[in-house]
Amino acid sequence: MAINRRQFLIGAGGLAAAATTMGLGACAPGSRGGDSQAGGQQGGATTLALAWWGNPTRNKNTEAMIAAYQQANPNVQISPQPGEFNSYWDKLATQTAGGQAPDIIQMDMNYISEYGTRGALLDLKDVDVSKFVEGTVESGRINDTLVGINAGINSALIFANPTVFEKAKMELPDDKTWTWDEMAEVAAEVASKAGVPFGVAQVMGSDPLFGTFVRQNGKELFTPDGLGFDVAEAQAWYDMMAKFQKAGALGTPEQISEEQAKPLDQSALVVGNAAMHYFNSNQEEALSNAAGGDYLMEMLRGPSLTGKATDRKTWYKASMLWSASARSKNPEAAVAWINWFANDQAAADIDRAERGIPPNAEIQEAVKPKLSPAQQKVLQYITDIKPEVAATPIAPPPGGGTIAEILFRHGIDVLFGRTSSAEGAQKFVDELKSNLQV
Amino acid sequence: MSAVSELSTIHRVKAKTPEEKRLQKKEAGRDNKAGYLFLLPWLIGLVVIVAGPMFASLYLSFTNYSLIQAPEFVGLDNYLRMLDDPRLHKSLSVTFIYVIVGVPLQLAVALAIAMLLNEGMKGLAFYRSIFYLPSMLGASVAIAVLWRQMFEVDGLVNQVLRLFGFEATTSWIADPQWALWTIILLHVWTFGSPMVIFLAGLRQIPGMYYEAASVDGASRWAQFRKITLPLLSPIIFFNLVLQIINAFQTFTQAFVVSNGTGGPADETLFYTLYLYQRGFVQFQMGYAAAMAWLLVVIIAAFTAINFYLSKHWVFYGD
Repeated sequence: MAINRRQFLIGAGGLAAAATTMGLGACAPGSRGGDSQAGGQQGGATTLALAWWGNPTRNKNTEAMIAAYQQANPNVQISPQPGEFNSYWDKLATQTAGGQAPDIIQMDMNYISEYGTRGALLDLKDVDVSKFVEGTVESGRINDTLVGINAGINSALIFANPTVFEKAKMELPDDKTWTWDEMAEVAAEVASKAGVPFGVAQVMGSDPLFGTFVRQNGKELFTPDGLGFDVAEAQAWYDMMAKFQKAGALGTPEQISEEQAKPLDQSALVVGNAAMHYFNSNQEEALSNAAGGDYLMEMLRGPSLTGKATDRKTWYKASMLWSASARSKNPEAAVAWINWFANDQAAADIDRAERGIPPNAEIQEAVKPKLSPAQQKVLQYITDIKPEVAATPIAPPPGGGTIAEILFRHGIDVLFGRTSSAEGAQKFVDELKSNLQV
Repeated sequence: MSAVSELSTIHRVKAKTPEEKRLQKKEAGRDNKAGYLFLLPWLIGLVVIVAGPMFASLYLSFTNYSLIQAPEFVGLDNYLRMLDDPRLHKSLSVTFIYVIVGVPLQLAVALAIAMLLNEGMKGLAFYRSIFYLPSMLGASVAIAVLWRQMFEVDGLVNQVLRLFGFEATTSWIADPQWALWTIILLHVWTFGSPMVIFLAGLRQIPGMYYEAASVDGASRWAQFRKITLPLLSPIIFFNLVLQIINAFQTFTQAFVVSNGTGGPADETLFYTLYLYQRGFVQFQMGYAAAMAWLLVVIIAAFTAINFYLSKHWVFYGD
């Protein structure tokens, strides 16, 4: 059929109109896109999109778990969506806005209430958590609904580089009895004797350490009503940090500021510029490997006000959690996969302690002999502190995930002497409050 | 003019028969249609990629939109909140310093290098490419990472300073006093594209003007002021407008150098970086959309002022 010019024009116009509507439609928030995304039924098979952030080891493990799961469940097709931590969240937010969220989502404590309180996450009451160690389930409960399953137990602590202590000819301190002041004394001494910039690095902007400090003062970081502490606690923290910094325990303000932007493999602890450093327990293996793998980093409990490890109010943190999209087309399949990860030995045999120590007590026991020396050290630490662990704090409410960044920013202003600790603390509290959406 | 002649004009216009008029109209319409057809690819792009999202963001700027839930209309709330947001004001001042210092400096360097290259040296093409290279790399992540490492405490800059006996212990990127200046320096270093445009402009200035001026005994400086600057002014104006618009939109360098925080102490909190933080880190896309529209207004205002002032100094030779 010959097409004359008019017909062609009409056709082209129609095409343009269609393209326009589609474009605008895609902009409309929450609109559901085409069915091409994962999550639909394809030829009878159930398809699931699985998103996580990670490192090369985790990517390899996760791919292997997907393969194992698909072999055991031939009717399930899982499409992997690996990512890098920072861009992961931009992508997830955009996908969620476009109604294209992955079915299974690796979740972080700082983000879980952003999604959980806004109805974006599936209720995971059907996942079996009966064998989980006490204090490991609560992290994933938002407004009384279980929307995240702990994927690995973690705890914030102070890592020590044994080679720096050797260089200073000092023994490791007794972490069961040390106070904040004693930590600073040790830090200042080891820094000057070993000739390194940092006695202890990255303390000031660490929200878990600040969190234990606040709890030791009888407050909480967050309560269901919003902020759980006052300007007084924040000011006490800034005052303490300024004192420690002047004593030579924390490095210069510039060094502290520079250190903040460094990735793990270039961190002061790894390159031997710090005797001690705040990190989470599951980073032991990565830290030791980055430092060459000839020795393991030592793990020290965070300090307390009273000098008793049982008073330091630490908690089991979920290193990460598994969540599912509330808009998943295959919610049962998503729940089944998460259940498999949490309770099946086959999954644990592949991932072992890469995502943190498995919260399932039986799995923990069974996986123990298969762990690397670094992971065994972590498991030992997590087991050792069990009698000292206090109640799990609630997840930061929406907007609360920004706490670490704000804490650091106003703190560095105080350390540089650009503002007083009182003013810095006031600004920190004001800004955090205005970010909270409770 | 008499009434008679007026009448005759009207008569002449009306002289066309209805048939003729119809044909003429059809002809014109057909031409238009073909024109629109050729415009179509651009038009689709404009509507789908530019105008659609723009209007969507205009609407979103009047809403509370978390990306996760549907937007909720809140009227002017976002705009009112901007009045009372200390970080927004900080980000504006950072960005203004960057634009007002960085752009003229960059253009001055670009013009100086262009004039040097215009002296008819050997291997011009080679040098032109070498000087243009930073512009292609400057906005990239790799260079921003390199910048960070150059200006660290033990970075290249301090190592060189130490060679000359200075006691260089400042971390240029971590000290709030200096951090922004390292990024301004990065901006100045990417002078390539205005330089190439200047070079083209310089080539257009007839050599005989300079010859005549030399014969009259004008110094090099006088020649520059009386010949080069006026004749180059349209090019300078073009570069100025474009570079100001570009500079306001700087994002990559700031994001990478401070690891997305705008630190130290918000001294490199560029406007677009803060916009990103609000939208994607704090899930306040409505507020971020309002910020985007404020940026549009600011850039439009700067451009309008530029065009207004241009009457006083841009010389088009007619």
